[in-house]
Amino acid sequence: MDSQAQILPGTLDLLILKAVSLGPLHGYGVLLRIGQISNGALVIEQGALYPALFRLVRQGLLKAKWGTSENNRRAKYYELTTAGRKRLREETGDWNRLATAMATALKARPEEI
Amino acid sequence: MKLASSIRTLLTFLFRRSRVEQEMEDELRSHLQDRADHLERQGLSRVEAERQAGVEFGGYQRYKEECREALGTRWLGEIIADVRFGLRVLWKNPGFAAVAISILALGIGATTAIFSVVNAVMLKPLPFPAADRLVRIESVIVATWRGGVASYPDFRDWRARNHVFDGMAAFRTNDFTLIGAREPRHLQGAIVSAQLFSLLGVTPVIGRGFLPGEDKPAAAGGADPVILSYDLWRREFGADASPLGRTIQLGDQAFTVVGVMPQAFQFPIQAEPVELWTTIAVDARGGANAMTEQRGAHYLDVVGLLKTGITPTQAQAEMATITSALNKEHPENKPRTTSIVPELRRLVGDLRTPLLVLLGAVGCVLLIVCANVANLLLARATGRHKEMAIRAALGASRRRATCQLLTESLVLGLIGGGLGLGLALSSLRFLVRLIPAELPRLNAIGLDSRLLSFVFLTSLLAGIVFGLAPALRASKISLTESLKESGRGSGGGGREHSRLRDALVVGEIGLAVVLLAGAGLLIQSFLRLTQVDPGFNPSNVLTFQLDSSTGRNGSQLPSFFREIVARLSALPGAISVSAVASLPLTGDNIGSSIEIEGQPTPIGSRPSADFNAVEPNYFRTVGIALVAGRDFTDHDDSKSTPVVIVNRTLARRFFPNQDPIGKHVRPGIGNGYSPGEPPMREIVGVIGDVKQSGLGAAAAPEVYAPLAQSPFGTMFFVVRSAADPRGMVAAVRRQVASVDKKAPVYHVVTLDQYFAQSVASPRFVALVIGGFAGLAVLLACLGVYGVMSYIVVQRTHEIGVRMALGAGTGKVLRSVLGRGLLLSSLGVLIGIPVSFGFAQLLSSLLYGVRTAEAAILALAPLALLGVAAVASYIPARRAARVDPVIALRCE
Repeated sequence: MDSQAQILPGTLDLLILKAVSLGPLHGYGVLLRIGQISNGALVIEQGALYPALFRLVRQGLLKAKWGTSENNRRAKYYELTTAGRKRLREETGDWNRLATAMATALKARPEEI
Repeated sequence: MKLASSIRTLLTFLFRRSRVEQEMEDELRSHLQDRADHLERQGLSRVEAERQAGVEFGGYQRYKEECREALGTRWLGEIIADVRFGLRVLWKNPGFAAVAISILALGIGATTAIFSVVNAVMLKPLPFPAADRLVRIESVIVATWRGGVASYPDFRDWRARNHVFDGMAAFRTNDFTLIGAREPRHLQGAIVSAQLFSLLGVTPVIGRGFLPGEDKPAAAGGADPVILSYDLWRREFGADASPLGRTIQLGDQAFTVVGVMPQAFQFPIQAEPVELWTTIAVDARGGANAMTEQRGAHYLDVVGLLKTGITPTQAQAEMATITSALNKEHPENKPRTTSIVPELRRLVGDLRTPLLVLLGAVGCVLLIVCANVANLLLARATGRHKEMAIRAALGASRRRATCQLLTESLVLGLIGGGLGLGLALSSLRFLVRLIPAELPRLNAIGLDSRLLSFVFLTSLLAGIVFGLAPALRASKISLTESLKESGRGSGGGGREHSRLRDALVVGEIGLAVVLLAGAGLLIQSFLRLTQVDPGFNPSNVLTFQLDSSTGRNGSQLPSFFREIVARLSALPGAISVSAVASLPLTGDNIGSSIEIEGQPTPIGSRPSADFNAVEPNYFRTVGIALVAGRDFTDHDDSKSTPVVIVNRTLARRFFPNQDPIGKHVRPGIGNGYSPGEPPMREIVGVIGDVKQSGLGAAAAPEVYAPLAQSPFGTMFFVVRSAADPRGMVAAVRRQVASVDKKAPVYHVVTLDQYFAQSVASPRFVALVIGGFAGLAVLLACLGVYGVMSYIVVQRTHEIGVRMALGAGTGKVLRSVLGRGLLLSSLGVLIGIPVSFGFAQLLSSLLYGVRTAEAAILALAPLALLGVAAVASYIPARRAARVDPVIALRCE
C-alpha cells in the first residue's frame, strides 16, 4: 500500500485524457487503464471518475457514445476529440515542465545556493 | 410561434433530463457490475464482490449529484422539486389556495380579457404581406388640418411625382344594388384604382386582379370589370365554379366578373363587409365633367405602400414638397397638404386612448390583486415560521429557501393565470356584445400565441410581484430569535412584517381611489352625453335606406319619393313620414362650401357648411324645432324659386343680429341635373341645431334644400309611428316593393338604435371601468379587513392585558378602528394626487366633465374611507369582545 499515491487535485482530468488517448474506453476501462499505465501506483476513488468524465464531455474534450462492452453489457465509450488531443498535448507539456522544475528545486543542495 | 417553440424546448429539456438521468444511472450501475465481475474472478463470492465494489466506488448518491452538477442539470432538478413541493403545500392549505387562486384568476382573467381586445384591434398585424409599410395618405386643408379625402387629379399627380412609395391606390366605398333573378340586394362595394390588389399583395383565388388600363371606362359596348368577395360568390352564384366572364347588373350598369378574392380578404377593413370591388372607371364617365377630372372634388381615400426603408416622416416630407407645388399650380383650390398615417393606426383611430385607459385600469386591478395575495402569503408565512427555521437549521441556504418560496408563488400565479385565461375566454362572448360595433377587426378576437404569451408572462410577473417580498421576508430567519419567539407561536418577523402589510394596504387603497375617481369621471361623462339634447326626438322613428337610382334619372326621383312617402303615410300606425339625404348620427355628412349674399368670396376661401336635402315634413317627423319661417312644401320643386332652410348656428354666424328669412345663400352643391354654377337660394326657414355628427360635437352650420330641388339617389326614409316602429318593417318593405321592385330597402334601423350606437364607445368604457373600479374597491376592502383581522389576532394577548387592566370596550374598538382608518387615510392621501394625473390622461375621453371635477375626485376618497371603516369595524368589534380571561389563558 505504501507504493500507492493519492493523486494531486486537478491531475485526474489529465490522467483520464491520457488513458482515453490510447483508445476508446468505457468508465471502468478508464479506471483499469489508469491503474495499468501507472503500474497501480495511483489510487482514484472510483466514483470520482464519473463527474470528471461528464465534465470533460461538457467541455468538448471527450465525446461519448453507447456501445457494448466485452462482457456484453451496454456501456458508454469515451473517445478523445480534436480539442481533447490538443489539451492533452498542452497539459502534458505543462506537467513535464512543472515536474522538472520541482525535481530540480528539490534536488538543490546548500552549496549550490 | 415563439411560444410554441419555447414550450417545445422546455419539453425536450424535461424529456431529455429524464433520459440523461436514466443513462447516468445505467453507466454507474454498469461500472459496479464490471467491478463486481472483476472481484468475483479474483475469488470473492458474488454477494461479497458486489458489496466490495460499492465500497470502492464511494458515496454513490454524492457522486451522482456531482455528475448532475457537471452536466448542468441540477438547477432543473431543484426547480422540479420546488414545484412539486409548492403544489403539495397548496394542496395541504386548500382554504388559502382557493382564496389566492380565485382572486388571481379574477385579476389575470380581467387583464387577459381586455388585452385580447387590445390584441385583436391594435396589435395583430393587418392581413397583408407588407402590412407594416401600408399607410394612409390623407389630403388635408392647410388652414384647418381637416379633410382626409383626395381628388383624383391630386392622386394622379402624387403617384407620378413621388419617389417614396412602391405604389399608391385610391378607393372609396359605394352602395350598389344587385339586380338579379331574386329581389334586389344592397351591396357594400368599393370603387378602387386598378393597382390596389397588387399593392396590398393579395391575388384573387379565382381569375385575375384589375389591369392598369381598367381605370379608364370600357369602350362602348364593353362592361367594366368587377371582382367579387368569396362570400358573395358563394352566396349569389352558389357552387358555380366559374363565375369568370359572367355579367352582373349593378343598378343601371353591367359589369363583367374577372375574379374572386380569398375568403379572408377585406379592404377597406370596416364594420360592414365590402362584397365587391370595381375600378375607378365608374367615376370616369362624362368626359371633362367626370368626377375623376375635377381637382376640387375631394372624395377618395388613398393608401400607399412605403418603399422599404422609408419612414412615414420621410414620406411626409416628400409629399409636402409635392403638395406645395400643386398648390402653386392650382391656386383656385384651398391650399392642401398631406398627412401620412400607418394604416393600422388609422384603423384603430380614436379607440386607441380608451383601449389603453382600460388596459391601464385593469393593470391597477391586477396590482391590487397582487397586494392582496402578498398579504395572504405574509399571513401564511407566520404559520410557516417554524418550517423555515428548521430548514435553516438543517443547512438550507437563504437563497435556496427564497427560491423555494418564490417557486411556490410562481406556481400559484400560473394556476391563477390558467384559470384566468379560461375565465377571459368564456367572458369574451359577453364582452364582445358590449363593445361598440365601430371597433374594427373584432372578429380577430380570440386565442393566439400573443395572447398565450401575455397570460404566461403576466402570471409569472404577478407571481414575482406578490411573491418576492414575502419570500425574502420569510426566508430571513434568525435562528436564535425564532427560538425565542417560538414559545409564543405568533412570531413571524414581528414589526417589520406588519409594516410591509400596512404598506400593501396603503397601496391598495391608493390604487382603488385612482380607479374609482377615473370611473366616476367617465361614468359622469357618459351620463352627461346621454342627457345632451340632440335637437331631435329619436323615439319611435323607423329609418331605412332606399337606393332608387336604378332606372331613373335625377328629374324622375322627386315624384318617386313623393309616392313612397304617400304610401308609407297611409300605413296604419304611421304618424308622419319623410326622407332625408343624411340622417343625424349616422356619420355621413355632406360637406359643402357656401357663399353668403353680399359677401362675395373666391371659391377657395368660402366658409363651409353641412349640406342636406329633405322632403317636406322631415323636421316634424324627427322632431326638429322650426324656429322661424316655414317648412318646405310640395310646391318647392324644380320649377319654383330655389329655397333653403338653415339651422340656428348658420343664421347666427352669417347673419348676426339680422332676420335671416328672405336672405340668400349659395351652397356649393348643385341641383344635380342642370349644368353650371349652383343657384342662389332664398332662406325660408330656420330650424334648431341638431347634433348631426355626434352628441359630443358642437353644432356645425347646416343648410337644407328641398329634395325636389336637389335630388339624391340614395335616401334615408324616416317613419314616425305611434307604437314600437319595428313592427312596421314588413309592411314598409311591401309598400316599397309595390312601387319599385328594383329599389332595395336596407339598413333598417330605428333612430333610437343610431342614438345608442353613437354613445356605444363611451358606454363601453364607462361600464367596463366602472366594473373594474367596483372590483378594486372590493379587493381593497378585503385587504383592509384581512390586515385588521390579522392585527387583532396578533394583539389578542395585549388586548386581553389592557382589558384586564381596565381599558373599556370602546377604547379597544377605537384603537383598532383608528388604525384601519389611519392606513386608509394614508392610501387616500397618496391616491388623490395620482387620480388628478389619471384624470388628465382621460381628458380626451370626457364630455361635459372637467378633469378636476371636484365632486367626483372628492367623492371617491370619501367612499373608500367609508368602506374601509366598515371593513375595519368587523375586526375591531371582535377585538372589543375579547375576553381577558381567555386571551391570557391562550398563552
